Amino acid sequence: MEFIETLINGLSIGSTYAMIALGYTMVYGIAKMLNFAHGDVIMVGGYMIYVGLTVSGNPIISFIAAVLSCIILGITIEKIAYRPLRGASPLAVLITAIGVSYLLQSSAQMIFGSAPKMVTVADLGSISFSGLTIPVYVLVTLICSVIIMVTLSLFVKYTRTGRAMIAVSEDKGAAQLMGINVNRIIMITFAIGSGLAAFAGLFMLMKSPSLSNTLGAMPGIKAFTSAVIGGVGSIPGAMLGGILMGVIEAFSLKIPAIAPYTDAIEFLILIIILLVKPTGILGKKRREKV
Amino acid sequence: MKKILAFVMAAMMIIGMTACSGGANYTENNTEFIIGVSGPLTGGAAVYGVAVQNSAQMAVDEINAAGGLNGVMFKFIATDDTHDATKVAANYASMLEGGMQVSLGTVTTGPGLEYSKLSAEDNVFFLTPSASGDKIPEFDNGYQMCFADGNQGKVAAEYVNSLGLTEIGVFYKSDDAYSNGIFEQFKENLDPSIATVETVFTGEASDFSSQISTLKDCSFIFMPIYYQPASIFMTQAKGIIADNAVYYGCDGFDGLAGQFEDFSVIPQEVSMLSHFDSNATEGAAAEFVAKYTEKFGTDTLNQFGASAYDCIYAIYNAMNAAIEAGETIDVTISASELCEILKAQFNGGFTYSGVTGNDISWDESGYVAKGAVKYVLKEAN
Amino acid sequence: MINLKNAKWNHYINYIVVAAVTIIFAILSLTGFLESSDKYLLEKIAIAITLAVSLSMVVGFLGELSLGHAGFMCIGAYLGGKAAVILEPMLGEWPALIVSLVIGGAVAAIFGIIIGLPALRLRGDYLAIVTLAFGEIVRSIFMNSSKESFGGSLGLDTPRFNKDILFIIAFVMVLATLAVTQNLIRSKHGRAITAIRDNEIAARATGIDVTKYKLLVFAISSFFAGIAGVLYSYSNFTVQSTKFSYNYSIEILVMVVLGGMGNINGAIIAATLITFLDVELQTILTGNLAVLQDLIYALILIVLVIYNNAPALKPFREKYNIKTFIGRFRPHNPSKHKDDEAKWDRVPTKIKMDEVLSVDLQVSSPYTPDKPGKEGK
Repeated sequence: MEFIETLINGLSIGSTYAMIALGYTMVYGIAKMLNFAHGDVIMVGGYMIYVGLTVSGNPIISFIAAVLSCIILGITIEKIAYRPLRGASPLAVLITAIGVSYLLQSSAQMIFGSAPKMVTVADLGSISFSGLTIPVYVLVTLICSVIIMVTLSLFVKYTRTGRAMIAVSEDKGAAQLMGINVNRIIMITFAIGSGLAAFAGLFMLMKSPSLSNTLGAMPGIKAFTSAVIGGVGSIPGAMLGGILMGVIEAFSLKIPAIAPYTDAIEFLILIIILLVKPTGILGKKRREKV
Repeated sequence: MKKILAFVMAAMMIIGMTACSGGANYTENNTEFIIGVSGPLTGGAAVYGVAVQNSAQMAVDEINAAGGLNGVMFKFIATDDTHDATKVAANYASMLEGGMQVSLGTVTTGPGLEYSKLSAEDNVFFLTPSASGDKIPEFDNGYQMCFADGNQGKVAAEYVNSLGLTEIGVFYKSDDAYSNGIFEQFKENLDPSIATVETVFTGEASDFSSQISTLKDCSFIFMPIYYQPASIFMTQAKGIIADNAVYYGCDGFDGLAGQFEDFSVIPQEVSMLSHFDSNATEGAAAEFVAKYTEKFGTDTLNQFGASAYDCIYAIYNAMNAAIEAGETIDVTISASELCEILKAQFNGGFTYSGVTGNDISWDESGYVAKGAVKYVLKEAN
Repeated sequence: MINLKNAKWNHYINYIVVAAVTIIFAILSLTGFLESSDKYLLEKIAIAITLAVSLSMVVGFLGELSLGHAGFMCIGAYLGGKAAVILEPMLGEWPALIVSLVIGGAVAAIFGIIIGLPALRLRGDYLAIVTLAFGEIVRSIFMNSSKESFGGSLGLDTPRFNKDILFIIAFVMVLATLAVTQNLIRSKHGRAITAIRDNEIAARATGIDVTKYKLLVFAISSFFAGIAGVLYSYSNFTVQSTKFSYNYSIEILVMVVLGGMGNINGAIIAATLITFLDVELQTILTGNLAVLQDLIYALILIVLVIYNNAPALKPFREKYNIKTFIGRFRPHNPSKHKDDEAKWDRVPTKIKMDEVLSVDLQVSSPYTPDKPGKEGK
C-alpha cells in the first residue's frame, strides 16, 4: 500500500518535472540553446496566478492570465535577449539566459517583496479507496501532463507549423531555403515552452502553496536533468525522464538513510544512464561525419 | 596592444579603488553611532534578513526621534550576504571601515560562524538577533538575543519526555545549521524509550508529500524548522495526517499564522517553544506587532524582526547604563573600546525587558537567559 | 643577450602584469596602505582568476562545456582545509599550507580524471549535465558528512591564513596556473588539444591520442580548481558547502565566456572585473537597495554579451574598439615585418553543441535523415 502511495506521489512530482522538461526540450531541440531562464518563467507564471487570484478570485481566469503572460514573456525574452545572438556561439546565448534568469528573479523580489506568498489555488480535496488516499491534484496533474504530451506530439507531427519545427531543428539553413520563417518558428517554440511553464507553475502551486522568487530554480535544473535522461529533443523522452526523476525522488525520500542524499542520487542515476546510453533513453544516436 | 591597454586599465582600476588611508581608526569622523548587520536581503532567505533590517531601522528611528543617546543620533546599515558565508568578510570589512562601532552580527547562523571570528579579531561587539548556532557566541565579543539551538533542542526534548508518548515523528532540514543544531540536542536528550520516525528535506524544497506519507501515522510531530517550509508541510498534510495530531516547533515557527489567510484551515494543533508570538494581543509584543504591521505589513513579520528590535534597544540601554555608571561614550569611540564597555555591561548583570521577554540577561559565554514559553498558535479544530 | 625587441611580448605580458600588480600590492600591504576590505577583494580576485583560467582550459581549448568546476573546487576546499586543520599543529603554518595545497589539488585532479572518463563518451550538453551532476553530488556528500569528518551543515572550521600575506600567495598561485596553462597550450600538446576541439575525428585520424589529452586537460584544470579551493578554505574561517552549487560553476563559466573563449588574458580580465563588480555592488548597495544587485549585474551581463557576440553588431564593434582607436595614433608602417605566426591559440571555439552533436526534435518517427554536415565537412 505504502509502495503504491509513494509511486503515485512520485508520478505527481514527475509530471511537474515533465511539464518543465517538455518546455526545455522543445526550445533545445529547435533553438539549440539551453534556456536557463525557463525555470524563472515558471516562477513568473506562479506570481501571475497569485496576482490573478488576488484581483479576480477566479482560479480559471487567473490561470489563463498566467498562461498568456508567460507566453508574452517568453516571446519578449526571445526577441530581446536571444534573437540578436542568433548565429553567435551557443555559449553566449547560455550566458544571456543566465542573465535573464537573474533579472527575472530580482525583478520578482522588487515587485512582490522578499516574503514568500501563500497561494491557495483551489482545494480539490482527496479521494480514498481501499485504503489508498490520493489527493485529487495528483490525478489532475498526471492526466493534464499526459494530455499535453500527446497533444504536443501530434501537433509537432501533423500540423504545418509542427513539421516546420522539425525542419528547423534538422537544419535551419535548409528550412529557410524551403520558405520556412525560422524566426517565427523559434518564436512559436518559445511561446509553447513558456505556456507549458505556466502549467508547471500551476501544478507546483497546487501541490505546495508557497510562492517565492526562487520557486523555479531547482525544479528547472531537475527538469533539465530529466530532459537529458529522456534524450534531449525527444518529447516522449522528456515525459519519461520527468516521471522517472519524480519516482526516484519519491522513493529515495522515503528511505531515511538516503533521504538527505536525494538530489545526489537523482544526479548519480543521470550519470549512470548517460554512461550506458550517451544520448539519453529515447535520444537518437547520430552518426558523426567528418 | 589592445590587451596591454586592457591589462593596464584593469590594474589601474584596482589600484584606484584602494583608498589609501591606512590606520585603524575608522570612527574618528563619525557624527552618528553606526550599527551594522549582515544578513540575507536577497535570495531564498531574504524574508529573515528583511525583517531584521526593517525592525532594526524602526528601532533606530524611534531612538533618534526620542533624541538619540544624549543628543547623538544612531545610524543603521544592513548589508546583504544572501545567506552565503563567503560574502561576510567583505560586508564586515566595508562596514567596519565605514565607521561601524557596534553590530548585530549576522541574521543567519552559517554566515555568523564567519562573522564571529572576524569580529573577534578586531574586538567588535555584536548582539545577534537570530543567528542561533551554539558556536556563534564562541568569543567574548559575541552575544545572542535568541535562544541557542542546543538549548532549544534540550528544552523541547524535556517537554516531549514529559508528555508520555511512545512514538513521535520528526521533520527537519538536514542541510540547515539551525534545524540540525536543535535536532541533535533534541535527540540526545530525548527519553530513549520514545521511538522516533525521522524525515528530512534539503535545500529550498517545496514539496513534502513523500515525507508526509512517512509521518502519516504519527500523532506528535516535532518540527525544528522555519515557518515557511512548515506552512507548506501543514497545508500539504491536510487530510493525510490525523486531525488530532500535534505539530510542535521551536522559535522558527513564529510567523506561521501570517502565512495563512485563515489559520483554522489547518485542523491540527500547532504549538511552539519561543520567545515571541507575532499574534500577541497584549504587552510589548503586541505593541511591536502593531507598529511593524503599520509600517511594513504582515508579510515579513516574524521573530527575527522582534529580536532585532530588541537588540537595538538592548545595545542602546546598555550604552545608557554605561554612561550612568560613569563611562564616557563619545560619538567617535572606536569599536574596540565600545566593545569593552558593552561587554562589561552585558557580563555585569545588565538586564533588558522588551518585546521578546522580560528581565533578559546574558552570561559570560554570550548565551541569553530568558523565559521560553510554549505558545499554542492554534488549538486543534 | 635576450633580444628584447623581438621577444614575444604577447606571450609574457600577462605574467608581467600579474607579477607587477602582486608586487605593488604586496608593498602597499606591507607598508600598511591596504585596508582589510582590499585584501579580501584581492584574495577573491586571485581565486577567481585561478578558477577562470583553469576552466578556460576545458571550455576554451578542449572545447568541452563543464558546469561542475565548483565541484572540483569544493573537493579542494574540503580536503585541503581538512589537511590544514590536521597538519597545522604538527608542521606549522607554512609547511601545512604547501602540503594542503598539494593534497587539495591532487585529489581534485584525480576526480578530474574520473569525470574526464565520461567525457570520452559524451559530448556537448550531455557532458555539461554530467559535470553539473557531479558538482551537485560532491556538494551533497560534504553537506551531509558527519560533524567529525567535514562538519556537515555547519561547515568545516579551517585555519584562516594571515590576510596580509594570503593574497600574495594567491597571486603566486595565479602565476603558477598561468605558467602551466600557457606552456601547455603553446606546446605541441596544446596544438593537439586545440585540434581535438576543432575536429575530434580528424585529430584522431592524424594520430593524436585523444583519450590521453582529454584526461590530461581535465586533470590539470581540476588540479588548479582544487588549488583555488584550498586558497578559498584558507581565506575563510569556515568552508560551507552551500557555496559550491551549480550557480557558482556558472559564475565561473560567465568569466570564461565574457573573456572570450580560448583567450586566457580575456578570462583574467573578466574574472577581475566580475569579482570587483560583485563585491562593489554587494558593499555599496546596502539596505533597501540590495535588491538592485542582481538586477544591475544581470543587465550588465546581457548587454555585454549581446554587444560582444551579436552578429548584427559586428560592423559597429569593428568601428569602435580600442584597437582601431589606438591604431589611429600609430604611424602606419607597411614595411614592418608582420609576425606570421599562426594564431592557432586564438581560434574562437565552437562548442560542438551545434555542429557535431545536434539533437533534433523528434516525435518517435522511425527514420529521420542525418543532418548534412555544414561547411563541407
